[in-house]
Amino acid sequence: MSFLADALEHLVRGIVDNPDDVRVELVTTRRGRTLELHVNPDDLGKVIGRGGRTATSLRTVMAGIGGRGIRVDVVDTDQ
Amino acid sequence: MPETVQESGTDQVDADEATVVPTAGGETDTVAPTQQADPAESDSDGDTDSDTDAEDSDEDGDGDDERGSEDLLVREGDIAGDYLERLLDLVDYDGDIDLDVEAGRAVVSIDGGDDLEKLVGPRGNVLEALQELTRLAVQQETGTRSRLMLDIAGWRADRRQELRDLGRATAERVLAGGDERVRLQPMTPFERKVVHDAVATFDGVHSESEGEDPRRRVVVFRQT
Repeated sequence: MSFLADALEHLVRGIVDNPDDVRVELVTTRRGRTLELHVNPDDLGKVIGRGGRTATSLRTVMAGIGGRGIRVDVVDTDQ
Repeated sequence: MPETVQESGTDQVDADEATVVPTAGGETDTVAPTQQADPAESDSDGDTDSDTDAEDSDEDGDGDDERGSEDLLVREGDIAGDYLERLLDLVDYDGDIDLDVEAGRAVVSIDGGDDLEKLVGPRGNVLEALQELTRLAVQQETGTRSRLMLDIAGWRADRRQELRDLGRATAERVLAGGDERVRLQPMTPFERKVVHDAVATFDGVHSESEGEDPRRRVVVFRQT
């Protein structure tokens, strides 16, 4: 399933100022599969978007590719 | 191959032809409408513009009134094509990407295998989301907001025809008496624009949009 992580990483790299700081990890928890998206703190606003619009778009596309069970969590690199 | 794809693409929306529900997750725009008409949407099908278009048409929420130069639009298409081609590679979907410039905006169309349905999604919601991301990727490179239109597996073309039919049928129903106004289901800006244009071809009715995205919907009134 690492293609999901690769796909998300690609989608995000294209829309941020610091593409080299983008990292995605697929973690499996009791609640299901989660793509943890790490970006440069300066890019947090970009991946979240106005009213969460960009994050929603990322989640919608990943659900389309990976199925409804897939979660996307945005984490900044300081965490 | 494209024919097969188009057919299966419409299955998702054929379920209830006359009912359009909002795309899931609120990926439709949440920005406040401005008074700036969107030339790209207005020209999308060459139909008459109604005066209600302006409120719906600002899908991007910006105030751009310049149409991009041809060169910029070609460049937008190239950037979008690269972004999407790489995505198709990573998820291993077959698809041919076609780039065009129509009515002052870049148009990117992807046609190919059945997998592409996943990139259209229920009622086109994945397509809308991917278009949004693609526009952001273009903007990241060009520094200018993009009005690029993405179509996948002919979904928008099919949807446009369905919505045109819905707009006409609704106008006829209002004209025929009975209801003085008919409220349609919530739609995306793209969808509302097509319905408004279809209604505008009838005398004696007019349409407006009401509510806030993603619940914004078209209302068709009998003119008194």
